[in-house]
Amino acid sequence: MSRPRALEKIRVVDFSWVRAGPWATRWLGAFGAEVIKIEWPENERGRLPSTTTPQNLEVNLNTSGNFNDTNVNKKSLSLNVRSAKGLEIAKRLIAVSDIVIENFSSRVLHRWGLGYQELCKIKPDIVYVSMSGYGHTGRNHHYTSFGPVAQAASGLTYLSGLPDKPPAGWGWSYMDDTGGMYGAMCALTGLYHRNMTGQGQHIDLSQMVASVPLNGPGLLDFTVNGRGSRRPGYPPGNRAHWPGTPLVNNYRGPTVVPHNAYRTHPGEYNDWCVIVCHSDEEWERLVQVMGTPSWATSPKFTTVAGRLQHQQELDEQIEAWSMTLGKYELTERCQAAGVRALPVQSAEDRVERDPQLRHREMYLEMEHPALGRRKVQNAPFKLSKTPASNHLPSPLIGQHTREIVEGLLGYSREDLRAGFADGTFWPVKRARFPYMEEMLR
Amino acid sequence: MSDAQSLSGPLAGLRVLELADEKGHFCGKLFGDLGADVVKIEPPGGEPSRRIGPFLDDIPHPERSLSFWYYNTSKRGITLNLETADGRRLFLRLAETADVILETFRPGFLASLGLDYEALRRQSSELIMCALTPFGQTGPWRDYLSSDLLHMAAGGEMASSGYDEADVPNAPPIAPGGGNAWHTACHFAYMAIVAALVYRTVAGQGQYIDAAIHEACALTTEAAIANYVYRGEVVRRQTGRHHAAGPTPRTQFRAKDGTYVCALVAGRLTPKYIGELADLLDTNGMAGDLRDPKYQDPAVIAANTSHIIDDLVANFIASLPAEEVYHAAQQRGFTWGAVRAPEALLNDPHLNDRGFWKEVAHPELGRSFVYPGEAAIYNGSPWRISRRAPLIGEHNVEIFCTELGLSRNELSVLAENRVI
Repeated sequence: MSRPRALEKIRVVDFSWVRAGPWATRWLGAFGAEVIKIEWPENERGRLPSTTTPQNLEVNLNTSGNFNDTNVNKKSLSLNVRSAKGLEIAKRLIAVSDIVIENFSSRVLHRWGLGYQELCKIKPDIVYVSMSGYGHTGRNHHYTSFGPVAQAASGLTYLSGLPDKPPAGWGWSYMDDTGGMYGAMCALTGLYHRNMTGQGQHIDLSQMVASVPLNGPGLLDFTVNGRGSRRPGYPPGNRAHWPGTPLVNNYRGPTVVPHNAYRTHPGEYNDWCVIVCHSDEEWERLVQVMGTPSWATSPKFTTVAGRLQHQQELDEQIEAWSMTLGKYELTERCQAAGVRALPVQSAEDRVERDPQLRHREMYLEMEHPALGRRKVQNAPFKLSKTPASNHLPSPLIGQHTREIVEGLLGYSREDLRAGFADGTFWPVKRARFPYMEEMLR
Repeated sequence: MSDAQSLSGPLAGLRVLELADEKGHFCGKLFGDLGADVVKIEPPGGEPSRRIGPFLDDIPHPERSLSFWYYNTSKRGITLNLETADGRRLFLRLAETADVILETFRPGFLASLGLDYEALRRQSSELIMCALTPFGQTGPWRDYLSSDLLHMAAGGEMASSGYDEADVPNAPPIAPGGGNAWHTACHFAYMAIVAALVYRTVAGQGQYIDAAIHEACALTTEAAIANYVYRGEVVRRQTGRHHAAGPTPRTQFRAKDGTYVCALVAGRLTPKYIGELADLLDTNGMAGDLRDPKYQDPAVIAANTSHIIDDLVANFIASLPAEEVYHAAQQRGFTWGAVRAPEALLNDPHLNDRGFWKEVAHPELGRSFVYPGEAAIYNGSPWRISRRAPLIGEHNVEIFCTELGLSRNELSVLAENRVI
């Protein structure tokens, strides 16, 4: 690649595992940082257990599809940091790096002798981002979280669902994705500050705490107006307002009708479209797209107040129409007329059918040594000078151990062999992958 | 730390011009709260997003939108009509002072005014300009209209979220609330802009960023894409827990107070875990048969998974308020959480220990209000709200007169002519 990279010559020591931390460092890698992922097969969480290994492959440390997508643009160093020798090697690596990032429980790095004060002795201007569940500060710092728990305890889960039903929540670890975003944002912000001032710092990110500001307007409704969100009609499903409940804003934008998901032809599991009209003009355009049926021209629907009052009937009528069209055809007809509509898209829809994502090259194939040619998710932004790109497939575990230990840190081939023999670079009793034998020749 | 107040934020010294509506104002807030001088440029009369509720005391007014308040902290505000020649002239002068311009206009709008990146970089090669739009600057959907709900649909959030058939028959896919399509896009846009800023510290050059909300949302469904790409599976929606290709054990249980607890149990049931679970359930005398030695056999555990989860764990949680279950479980190392309403967080002492809640003064009202604070604690350069959202044109004098040197009389003429 001849294009310059935004994070050229930046090195990241990545102790992170599972999802949130690796999702953060994936983006630092996409911007061109050298991300060195430190792993140990005996307590690996991210590669295994795998529910995304292709049906025709054996499940092992190198065949998780989700790991591949989460860990592109990185190198892997297998290293037993819990041994004295391994810790020494980690310190030598930190000494020549810019960023340390991890998502362990709050006291783990400190126990290893790699707390912020120690890191500063090794590299005075280090940018250290800790991504723990509850943060390193505060009485519950030792609590643990995965995405769903952070979402529950922060109030995010409660935002999702139908009134008088259990919370529907988020069907995935939104706060592993978003926690990962914050990890990358903190690392970049710390790096910018370091470049401007020469000062590093410790950034104490908490997955649970980072969820709370995502409820801003709802929280202000409580702190300013005293109105809580445990109230009739909240959360209002996909609507802006639930019929028959107090008419207050529900924190997704303007209170308008229609604002809902409607079934489309042929009525299978993901055959839905959402339609929203932000004004009477947009509603009039929708009426035209629907062919100006007599029900739709009734005066009770011509104003937002009327549509709010008769929302249930309106939604039923719209769905009777939407059921006659496929979700993409409905989208095109509505958008051509200036009506807000988009299909509910499954993963298959996004990868195979979404013309916009195809045009923007959201999913490009990359070759992975164990998984073969696979589509990998790309960046949602295009930088004119330093584009973010996927340039390395996810590493096999320990794939870059020799390159890093010898090439970067200056150890000898003998040191490498000794480290494999004494359990520093791979557990003595664990079978080695063929590429490790190759490394030791 | 007492000296934290005297430290400036990590982005101190940076000037950001924000031309953003509800799609991008959270990105501007992140820059402002992290120390940048963010100048929000609104059309005369104020940004239309000031009309989004809820409102202070439920009295609708452009200065009383709590949504606007929240998303526009730590910014200064000016008004400027870019569709006038004087407005464009002043904007060009402001752009010369800017490190970053963030805009959310429809593609082509700024170019139609001669204010696109190509024009602006001629006067400042270090300028970073980010256009954050629903679908980006190119492609067949470029000019499509959108909303938070629309992005949640097309991005895949809705296809993953909803209910088990047994809980809500015929339920639609559900879009989680709170405006998170905008948040997700703003997180990615922030990341791209700061990466460009880091590059500028080294290379001395700015650049243009074309960021798309649709792509940001499409990227934010965890393993759904991997499930399809590697196994051809399309995931199904399940109440309060992960999407999955097939049915999975429940993780959300109703507590005694009628609220819920998220308890991650399935997949973790080892003999050791059973012992710890028995200790937890015994805190309320509800361990049932969990201490039976038969559970030392993983095969017996596997055969009794439904009994353990749907009887023992469910009954234990049903016997206590959700908050008590949450803390009892976490104190014993269980990764469980109470499903709280957002306002319950005001009473969380952990957040208070972190100094999370901030009093923000609204001097024009003679009052202060509590705002949620920062996602992370920076020990060398604090992330903090520096001021409430600007009133309409609040900093017109400060910026047009004090900084750009216009006289008060010139400002009056500009106001009369709807330029500001």
